Amino acid sequence: MSAKQVHDVVIEATNTLEILERVLRVIRHRGFRISHMNSEQMNDCNNIKITVTVSGERGIDLLYKQLDKLFDVSKVSVQHITTI
Amino acid sequence: MKATEFIVNALRKQGVTQVFGYPGGAIMPLYDALYDGGVAHLLARHEQGAIMAALGYARAGARVGVCIATSGPGATNLVTGLAEAMADSIPVVAFTGQVPSALIGVDTFQEVDILGMTLSCTKHSFLVEDQNDLDRIIAEAFTIATSGRPGPVLIDIPKDIQLAVMANETVSELAELPPLDGLVDEQVAAARALLHAAKKPVLYVGGGVGMANAVPELRELAAALDIPMVSTLKGIGSADPEHPYYLGMLGMHGLKAANLAVQESDLLIAVGARFDDRVTGKLDEFAPHAKVIHLDIDACEHNKLRVANVAITTDLKLILPALKMTLDIAPWRLHSLEMKVETAFRYDHPGIAIYAPLLLKQLSASLPEDHLVACDVGQHQMWTAQHMTFTQPENLLSSAGFGTMGFGLPAAVGAALARPDAMPVVVTGDGSIMMNIQELATINRAKLPVKIVLIDNQRLGMVRQWQTLFFDGRLSQTILDDNPDFVALAAACGIPGETVVVKEQVQPAMDRMLASKGAYFLHVQISEQENVWPLVPPGVNNGEMLERYDEC
Repeated sequence: MSAKQVHDVVIEATNTLEILERVLRVIRHRGFRISHMNSEQMNDCNNIKITVTVSGERGIDLLYKQLDKLFDVSKVSVQHITTI
Repeated sequence: MKATEFIVNALRKQGVTQVFGYPGGAIMPLYDALYDGGVAHLLARHEQGAIMAALGYARAGARVGVCIATSGPGATNLVTGLAEAMADSIPVVAFTGQVPSALIGVDTFQEVDILGMTLSCTKHSFLVEDQNDLDRIIAEAFTIATSGRPGPVLIDIPKDIQLAVMANETVSELAELPPLDGLVDEQVAAARALLHAAKKPVLYVGGGVGMANAVPELRELAAALDIPMVSTLKGIGSADPEHPYYLGMLGMHGLKAANLAVQESDLLIAVGARFDDRVTGKLDEFAPHAKVIHLDIDACEHNKLRVANVAITTDLKLILPALKMTLDIAPWRLHSLEMKVETAFRYDHPGIAIYAPLLLKQLSASLPEDHLVACDVGQHQMWTAQHMTFTQPENLLSSAGFGTMGFGLPAAVGAALARPDAMPVVVTGDGSIMMNIQELATINRAKLPVKIVLIDNQRLGMVRQWQTLFFDGRLSQTILDDNPDFVALAAACGIPGETVVVKEQVQPAMDRMLASKGAYFLHVQISEQENVWPLVPPGVNNGEMLERYDEC
């Protein structure tokens, strides 16, 4: 099995009822596993900040672009943590 | 003003004149508003028929398809169509009724969480919580469906919201789409440098060209470069089929010259295409010598399956003209032409039995200039792609990325309404047509002049072919020798037709079909043993195609 990369991904999005499902579904379907997650409303209550630690064999850029494409998502940032 | 009247007004503001659907309990308020709302509604006989018709309408007419269904089973019957629209990037807005807001989540009659269920097969989706959000939501839905890479959007509306009174009755003016980013000079220069250096370039044309309305730009580029071209299933009709170096469809059932040219190429220019597995065969042996220029409006497609040397995320209408140049590739052109001539299909099929490829070639030659062909999925679909000629991508409606049996008949219904001057033709198989056979009744009800060509081998032919070739001939659940009497079935729905069984019957029957004013059902019986050739078997590269002579 090839090495897995671990990344922290921070997602800022509109705080719709289904935003967590929408984001988590993309992460799972595109081949990443979540080991840690936090979600909190941002100051204005209309937006939410989701922080996830994900690992996967595929390039993180593929996930970044899929998340960035979501209509409700306003910002995605990625930081490499480690290789396992 | 009730919310449902507002919805109909908002649809009209979006330019919608035709919708497709099926009424039911939770969507009754919207149907009440449609009763005299000034938007035409086509009643399908199944919600899947309604959404496939909306997809056919969208693809044939280059506009947004709109479909409507009730909650629960009505909504779930749309799911396959939404997934189809997602796979083939078709702009559609689906409205579903939902149980009243207060009853969501308590397992109400005909309740299903359709938003949750369709997260994976919509570009975006909305559950309307306040009727006063409808103005914004409908505008956003149409913008999302059509902008960038098009796709399906779902709007789920609880019944109480439909019945609620609007605070503001005026639909907002449509906002203009923000302009796309312009070209980046360095990227264009990099692409031009690759193109200039190439000795064996191939233009790999996908469905994105038609979706971007960039067929003229593609053809101008192809004329300037004078370059060998291949097409995906959805790209068919984009390149000029008369272009001397147009080699046809590539991939699993692609033309041999198309696949060989790609395998030999030193540069692939992928235009609105996505390196789908049915195109590439064994991915790591696909076009093994080629550098790649990848042009697509969806950044997610870049470097997903094949790393590009130059990837440009842009409107194809912008980038294609920027790549014009003169290429010094005379030996490659000659080689491509030789391959095209040497590997051209032969139609001298022995015996009296009808040969589907020849029939489809005859059909293609017999159709009036303004026509459209909707396909189902299977052997007939591949034969249509191989043996019919299309001069515009919107003239061939085929379920390409999703492979949805049952697509053809309802897609033709929608296409016929989008393009009333074009002759609508369905090419289908005896497996596929039964998946949405109820739409024969829709064709009769709407008096649509759909010409249906059913190629009947009394088998699920493509699966049977694979069972023969790769599963030791164990024909598991693919024998359909107890099919209904199709001509009688069509007649029961008010559609005249006939059956043909030998070659010499084909042209006269086809002439009768094409001369008929209304719908017509041409039932074509062929041998159950016919296979689609060539075929790239699983797990090998596209240079290793099986051909007819490999059969023995």
